[in-house]
Amino acid sequence: MHIRIHFESGVPVYLQIVQQVKSAAAGGTLLPGEPLPSVRNLAEELRVNRNTVARAYTELESEGVIETRQGAGCFLKATGSSPLTRSAREGRLNAEIDALIVQAHHLRIADAELKRLLAERLYRFRSSTSGTD
Amino acid sequence: MSTPAIDIQDLVYRYGRSEALHGLNLCVEPGECYGFFGRNGAGKTTTIKCLLNLLRPASGSVKVFGMDPSRQESEVKARLAYVPDFVAFYPWMSVREALDYQASFRSRWNSGLERSLLDQFRLSPDAPTSGLSKGQRTQLALIGAIAAEPDLLVLDEPTSGLDPLVRREFIQTIIGAYQDAAPGQRTVLVSTHLISEFEGLIDRFTVVDQGRAILTARADDARARFQRLRAEFEGEAPSASIFREARFVRHSGRSLELVVDSDAGPLLERLRSHGPVRVEEESLTLEEIFLNTVK
Repeated sequence: MHIRIHFESGVPVYLQIVQQVKSAAAGGTLLPGEPLPSVRNLAEELRVNRNTVARAYTELESEGVIETRQGAGCFLKATGSSPLTRSAREGRLNAEIDALIVQAHHLRIADAELKRLLAERLYRFRSSTSGTD
Repeated sequence: MSTPAIDIQDLVYRYGRSEALHGLNLCVEPGECYGFFGRNGAGKTTTIKCLLNLLRPASGSVKVFGMDPSRQESEVKARLAYVPDFVAFYPWMSVREALDYQASFRSRWNSGLERSLLDQFRLSPDAPTSGLSKGQRTQLALIGAIAAEPDLLVLDEPTSGLDPLVRREFIQTIIGAYQDAAPGQRTVLVSTHLISEFEGLIDRFTVVDQGRAILTARADDARARFQRLRAEFEGEAPSASIFREARFVRHSGRSLELVVDSDAGPLLERLRSHGPVRVEEESLTLEEIFLNTVK
């Protein structure tokens, strides 16, 4: 897993970490049970504040993506154990999908085209990774 | 909410007839890494000196962990460490003696941390302080400041005397080592005009200009708000005058560059209505935000 911070993206730094850990987990570059870097090491590597990394890990833990083992650090959780209900999870995803639809509208991408793009990206994402899930 | 580490309200300070601070406000919560940004002469050092009771304000209130530095000076000083931009040591002392001397005023002293930082910065305990470079003096002062494990670390231009190549590394090491023992509780106030080194470290900041706080924001919020839009057109770019709400506009032939400090949406929409060939959007860094607010 390789995390990079882009300050010029305007996305809160802790959120960039959250998104990239999730993306690594979804893409198989971080496997269930694998350890995450310590708060200290990641903060040093990214040249960010430890508070920021700690906040990202807290967020990831509350979403059930990672778990903290006393004295051993943080680990990626096995999938299928999200503490959120299905409707809560779908609600979150719906918000992202709505944003995507709005963006597509402004870029003048028709609905059929958007569906095709989504299918294509899904296919590429799954075929470029180990195919876990 | 817990008692702020620093709470300054309407601070006024005068040097002779000229006012150095005109009603400055600054509030730093415990555990924050707080940037205090301003040009030389903006009032940063004067503010810090009021915190330390080195200067008496003409009016306004200054509280450090709820205490008034002018009345509870020793209690305040026991909880903070201050590293000024020019550090002086007794020239006859060695590095070891200078640290022991500082430790003698402190109730806590983390010798392990002191040793590991001396190693990391390759400072020999036997070296005479009179032979240290400006950068090494700063390093020594910082080691002394964080070995005391204060609740508040006040740094005034900590990197200004350092080699640009080591600056970033070094400040990361110091602030990281300081926060390590009690994450979420160790507060840092760093005053600087060299902002890029602190980009990722700063939780919140205040820009001070001519003795006033002109911008206070969370670093993440500020980066989300301050955006640069660059648009290229096939022909002449539309006139800059139709983008009045932009903070900054540069018009040159076919391209237009705008800086906005609020929701870029409406402006972006207007820009697009002129049919640009290309539009780019990016957030400003803290340094660019600073430069855009003080000019």
